[in-house]
Amino acid sequence: MDLPGPRWKKGKDGKDFAALAAANPMSTIVAELQAKLRDSEAVATLAVHTRDAILEVGKDQAKLLNCASFGRAVGSAGAERQWFQLGPEEVFFLCHALKCVAVESENEARMGAPELWDLLASTSEQFPEMYRAYEHLRLKNWVVKSGLQYGAHFVAYRHHPALVHSEFAVIVVPEGKAFGTTCGCMQVWSELLCALRASGSVAKTLLVLTISTKSSELGSMDCLEQMIVHERTITRWIPQQCREQQDKSCREVSSNEDQEHTSRGVVFSYWGVVLSFTVLSSLLVYKLKF
Amino acid sequence: MAAAAASARDRRRRSRAPAGGAAHAVRIDDGEEQHLNPFLDAAPSASSRVQFRNMASCARWVEETGAAEVVESRGNLWLTTGVTRAGKLYYNIEEIGFLAERGALILLNDKDETIGIDGIYEKLAGGNYGCSWDTFQAYKHLKSLGYIVGRFGVPWTMKHGGTCDTIAPQMNILETDQSLNRVDGVSSDITKLLKKMQIDGISPSFEVYLPNSKFKKSSPGSPCFLLCLLRGKPPSRVELEAVENNFRGIPLKYCHVDNGRVSFLSFDEVTLPSLP
Repeated sequence: MDLPGPRWKKGKDGKDFAALAAANPMSTIVAELQAKLRDSEAVATLAVHTRDAILEVGKDQAKLLNCASFGRAVGSAGAERQWFQLGPEEVFFLCHALKCVAVESENEARMGAPELWDLLASTSEQFPEMYRAYEHLRLKNWVVKSGLQYGAHFVAYRHHPALVHSEFAVIVVPEGKAFGTTCGCMQVWSELLCALRASGSVAKTLLVLTISTKSSELGSMDCLEQMIVHERTITRWIPQQCREQQDKSCREVSSNEDQEHTSRGVVFSYWGVVLSFTVLSSLLVYKLKF
Repeated sequence: MAAAAASARDRRRRSRAPAGGAAHAVRIDDGEEQHLNPFLDAAPSASSRVQFRNMASCARWVEETGAAEVVESRGNLWLTTGVTRAGKLYYNIEEIGFLAERGALILLNDKDETIGIDGIYEKLAGGNYGCSWDTFQAYKHLKSLGYIVGRFGVPWTMKHGGTCDTIAPQMNILETDQSLNRVDGVSSDITKLLKKMQIDGISPSFEVYLPNSKFKKSSPGSPCFLLCLLRGKPPSRVELEAVENNFRGIPLKYCHVDNGRVSFLSFDEVTLPSLP
């Protein structure tokens, strides 16, 4: 299936931001952010009773966090320091996948990735599959944000949300006994058609990420390696449009044929003129000679 | 028989409105529901949208085959409808329903009495002839848009093997006895065995060709897509992969019918690109 292309936003000059995005690849921004956060030994603090984390960073890191579209700025402590609120998937990605942020609980006890996993998984039954889907997209350099306002789990952007509209509304579907009660998603028609209608009305393609696992235990972080992500789009197919497109392509083919016939005719008449001119001139020369 | 056909034509003229109403019970799923306003005097009736034919073919219902043998063919509908066996044209139940609603077919029983639209609907609702009511709604929707629709795996003529040559034939032999996929009306032992087997999962109901004035039953070419009807709950990844693996190379479309509303869907396996 051909995926729909990105819908780039436009600047004040009327030009779209595709060139700007190409000049600033997301992989480069993330690599730079990773290095800067490691250098500054950044520490995020888990918020009490929520699954979010608060990260205090300097001006340079703040710019990179913004450019890479991680979290959201929640206020600044003077000109040099800024605070960012990170979602559970974001904080675990920075801690586990990029290994550039340390995490501590509200009582200032440092946590390794396994402890953080246990904590986040205990506060949300859906965390394992949600994180796996988030990581899958982020490692492909897609920007992933919450899709709650679109009736989806996530939305996926080709670059920064300021430069481009999101292309996909992402629904995460866990598959298998290991996921227990979280497997109920997209199992009734009303839910699927509702998601399809909602994504279509905001010009997004519905992307279903099915997470299957060989592991029977999701308690430990080791299960991440066992989780496989399957990508599939669901689209509404409108037979009227398909038929009209077919008619159009048929018309295009016939008009191309007509043009070909016309051009052949033009070529033919051109050579006819040349030939007749040659014959006439040779006759004239012949007459003049005799 | 001619008298029966004539009286049937009169009856058909009298019962045009209800047939038309039923014909457009299917709603186009284009985002917004389209409702005729019943409170306006000038509101067009549902039946006014149906294009009725002046010429009606005549067919006799054959219970053993679960289809109708055409005894009098008029017009050129036979070019894209029905299957030919031993020089005779047969219509499946969904084709009968579609044509009868449009006044293009009179269906007779073995005593040459007319089977009305209510009798045809009963046969469809029973779902015993290889087509359920929901499947009929999907068929009707595509046919009314000009698509050429044939039962999956059932050759248009016995000279040609339909899609059987190219795609997993084992999936469609279930209904071969019902849908005339046999020679001289005799179904083989293997067909009987396969009919007893219960094949779970999704399988195509129809093979669909784009509208084409040059369509030939003797050489229909590859279908534009195969249409699978989805019942119960939405399909799982495993079910989708199973049906895709059986029919590699031919696109699959899926159809969900709810209370007469037909939704066509594509479930496409994709690989998101890794971005720079």
